[in-house]
Amino acid sequence: MRIVSILLACGFAFGLDTVVSQQFQSLYRLVVLAGLYITLAVSLNLINGITGQFSIGHAAFYMVGAYSAGFISKTFYAGQVSPQVWMVGMAILGALFAAIAGFIVGLPSLRLRGDYLAIVTLGFGEILRIVTQNIEPIGGAYGMNVKPFGSPPQTLWLAWILAVLCIAVCRNLLKTAHGLPFLAVREDEVASSAMGVNTSSTKVTAFIVGSAFAGGAGAILAHAESFISPDMFKMDVSFIILTMVVLGGTGSITGSVLAAVALFAIPEWLRNLQDPVTKVPIQIPGPALVASILAVVMTVALLKLAQDRYHGERVKKIGLLLGAIFAGSVAQMVLNLALSQIPSLAAKSFEAAALRMVIFAATLIILMLLRPQGMMAQHEFSWAWVARVFGKKEKVAA
Amino acid sequence: MAGLDFSILPQQLVNGLLLGSIYALIALGYTMVYGVLRLINFAHGEVFMLGSYAALFTSWALGFSPESVKGIDKASSPMNLIIMLVVSMVVCGLIGVVIEQLAYRPMRNQARIASLITAIGVSLFIQYAGGLFLPQSPPPAISEQINPFRNEKVTFTIKPAPKEAVDKANVAMAKARESDVLYEKAKLDGRPAAQLETMRQANQEAQNEASSLQTQVSSQTSGIVIPFGQLGMLLTTVFLMLLLWFVVQKTKTGRAMRAVAHDFDSAALMGINVGRVVTVTFMIGSALAGAGAMMYATVLRTPLTPFLGVAPGVKAFVAAVLGGIGNIPGAVFGGVLMGVVETLVVWLDGLIPGLGGYKDAVAFVVLIAVLLFRPGGLLGSSKVEKV
Amino acid sequence: MGRQGLWQEGEGGSMSQPTERPVVLSLNKATIQFGGLIAVNEVTFDLYKGDLFGLIGPNGAGKTTCFNLITGVYKPTSGSIKFNGKEVSGLSPAKIATLGICRTFQNIRLFPALSVLENVVVGSYLRHKVPLAFAFAYLPPAIKETKALRDEAMHLLEVMELADMADARSADLPYGKQRRLEIARAIATQPDLLLLDEPAAGMNPQEKEDLLTTVRRIRNEFGKTVLLIEHDMRFVMGLCERIVVLDHGEEIANGPPEAIRNNPKVIEAYLGEAV
Repeated sequence: MRIVSILLACGFAFGLDTVVSQQFQSLYRLVVLAGLYITLAVSLNLINGITGQFSIGHAAFYMVGAYSAGFISKTFYAGQVSPQVWMVGMAILGALFAAIAGFIVGLPSLRLRGDYLAIVTLGFGEILRIVTQNIEPIGGAYGMNVKPFGSPPQTLWLAWILAVLCIAVCRNLLKTAHGLPFLAVREDEVASSAMGVNTSSTKVTAFIVGSAFAGGAGAILAHAESFISPDMFKMDVSFIILTMVVLGGTGSITGSVLAAVALFAIPEWLRNLQDPVTKVPIQIPGPALVASILAVVMTVALLKLAQDRYHGERVKKIGLLLGAIFAGSVAQMVLNLALSQIPSLAAKSFEAAALRMVIFAATLIILMLLRPQGMMAQHEFSWAWVARVFGKKEKVAA
Repeated sequence: MAGLDFSILPQQLVNGLLLGSIYALIALGYTMVYGVLRLINFAHGEVFMLGSYAALFTSWALGFSPESVKGIDKASSPMNLIIMLVVSMVVCGLIGVVIEQLAYRPMRNQARIASLITAIGVSLFIQYAGGLFLPQSPPPAISEQINPFRNEKVTFTIKPAPKEAVDKANVAMAKARESDVLYEKAKLDGRPAAQLETMRQANQEAQNEASSLQTQVSSQTSGIVIPFGQLGMLLTTVFLMLLLWFVVQKTKTGRAMRAVAHDFDSAALMGINVGRVVTVTFMIGSALAGAGAMMYATVLRTPLTPFLGVAPGVKAFVAAVLGGIGNIPGAVFGGVLMGVVETLVVWLDGLIPGLGGYKDAVAFVVLIAVLLFRPGGLLGSSKVEKV
Repeated sequence: MGRQGLWQEGEGGSMSQPTERPVVLSLNKATIQFGGLIAVNEVTFDLYKGDLFGLIGPNGAGKTTCFNLITGVYKPTSGSIKFNGKEVSGLSPAKIATLGICRTFQNIRLFPALSVLENVVVGSYLRHKVPLAFAFAYLPPAIKETKALRDEAMHLLEVMELADMADARSADLPYGKQRRLEIARAIATQPDLLLLDEPAAGMNPQEKEDLLTTVRRIRNEFGKTVLLIEHDMRFVMGLCERIVVLDHGEEIANGPPEAIRNNPKVIEAYLGEAV
């Protein structure tokens, strides 16, 4: 079953590449990035969610992979092999360099716990980024062009194959007994070592594998974007990847995949929000925006109240939740009217695209307030689950 | 050592101290909130940013907006500065409380990483919402004129220049003055053009000579110049920290804060209203950041953007961890250390060109070095887990 | 479970003379000092194979600290600890576990989010042979070993009468079963020496009776040597064949239950709590 799944997924990757490059050319870059983010989220999940190590500097490994592969490509590619083969080699190279970085970052995890480890991982990322900024031969603060092939290469298939590989490796680990030491270290380090688990090597292994995948993704990024600069690997990127892991449900591979796609897609979708008829970017008037923000705050507060305090029938609960949303909508309209009376505010209006980060941040907060355990909590997708669901339905039908 | 100017070292150290005191004020907020909630308040840097804007808007309201001061030399009073300080502190305190009530309190019983993500969300939200509503291009700065002490300084001379140099300079200055007087008189007397020209050249030389000798003297003088504004900043910071120490150590609220920081659940069982304690902690921590923000904007006259809080926020957070997160004196120590190290790195650029570009990275290097030897921070406790 | 033939597999208990059996654990003047406080002061005793050995004393006597010394959580400031003749003081807890000493904890330390079965498999994993890389690639040897380890763990659960809850979250188990699970997990590592830290704490008399039988069975059927810390006198006297008493870090008595019961120093240490 497993082999079939993997082959199917690889086929999906190639198929996706063909389809998107032919039918949805404008979306090509986005789909590549989506695939890369899946790899990033799942690989971070291995370190944070599965092994419980608080690492919030994942962008550093992404960067190491990108710069190492980009530099080598730029300097040494001279048509020795076809671009496809070369890129696979570069991905492996990027992974190797990133693994070394991962090893170095993993070492403090042997001495530091929790928040202290977090700040150290963040620090490594920043140090690497600032050092890169100051090294002229690789472009310094201005960045580096990576155009070894003349024309931009097809990277979508490779990005998604890497994602499949990353998911497969993590899944395989968890399906075997060998995954248990990682989970045990997460649950209780003292008890783990008392049971003979080598916590040090477990932690460092998690860092190495997680960082290697991130490095591979970075290598692909360098070739896909044809240009990399330290600014592309700031703290924000690490935070976004971390958010993908947490929103998906720390420890759940499926969750990381879904959240990566969703969190990546929302800002992009907002960026291109246009009126379907006039193709003009949608504008939102000032009063409506402020009213919406306030109304949303109120709605979320009410939703949370309903969620936490009411423990009665399911139907009544849904009614309460809907009621909260209704109340919020009413509030929005009322506030909108009221705020439109303020001339300075009424005159302002905002493009939807400019709002995308605000909406993204707001979505984050709301999702965390309403479902802190993440989308999938600790559950995973599996064929067995599918069978159970369908099995049940069959029973009912019979 | 080629390139290192030791005579400016004392001045640099003082500058570092001043910068560090701002970091310390911000770091206190991080450390206090972490102490009671074990939460890294990522939004703290944004509270700092909003405090700076609050100071800006207050300065406008007091009559120092860009249009009002164009071309005029407006008089200001110390009262203006005090008003701005209080407004910043109050605004920040309120914002801190609002964030705590809306975003952190509901997450109290959830996994810590969930609270962390919420904090990141709040931080991003404030940055980008600010980006929509706050003036930022070009980045506005508080008018210099609101500072009534802007032209006054305090000077400490540590090591005066050698006597002969000073004497030579004095002699040259006297000669220059004399020659100037003579030249002016000659012009008034209507001497012939050729003669005037010679005199003008001689006078010019005398002026140049005097001026270059003066520069030499000042470069050989080791001293510290502290503008009044920055001195006021330092004193205010010290005052606020003493106030904080008093509150934490001597008042009932402070005792409650320490109890909650020590053991959240036990404190609640002892009848302490932990909700109120947390709110008060946020309020105080944010207000301190507000004070730092006002000084950052007014005295250091930093141009404001909605993303202003990110870098100082990260550095202050590093400072708090450096001193031992949760440890109040540690935050002060860490903040000052960070400020001094950052300034020294820029100073060392004279020796190792290009080092200045690494100044932000040095913060983290120092942190990692410290944590590897003292995993609990400099003044923190590495609590050993009881098995 | 009931009382079964006492001397089925493991070598006899107090029936045979201690000196006829090999020494499994030997503490020789083991001492640990924390700053000014000497928590364990020159404690010396030997454990023979198949012993059911009790370590008792008033609160704060240093019993758990002794356990921590033996299992490598602390390194003794002086003295030696030998396991099967090999010096183990200063080794890491994981290394000591692989050598054959396993323990339970005073405040139960299960892996809360893992299932009952998974908790035990962590124990059996200690004896795994297939390298990690095979698992990443999901190669047949890894799959086979996983199945083998799971079966082994399942068998152990059946013996410990926990099999019906194999897939339940370990955190959801009632207290008594959690203790049993912790013991099962420790046994899964196939130790020669099993250290139980207050296994009967918080149990009612019936549960204690069951536990007593279980521990005896562990010694008899699995051939383990057992060292346990307990506060319940009746339990200790009923189970252990030899007892060491600590007070304020020092050894004040060492011998069979009858000797301990009537030892005036012991009585004094407990202030009249002797059974």
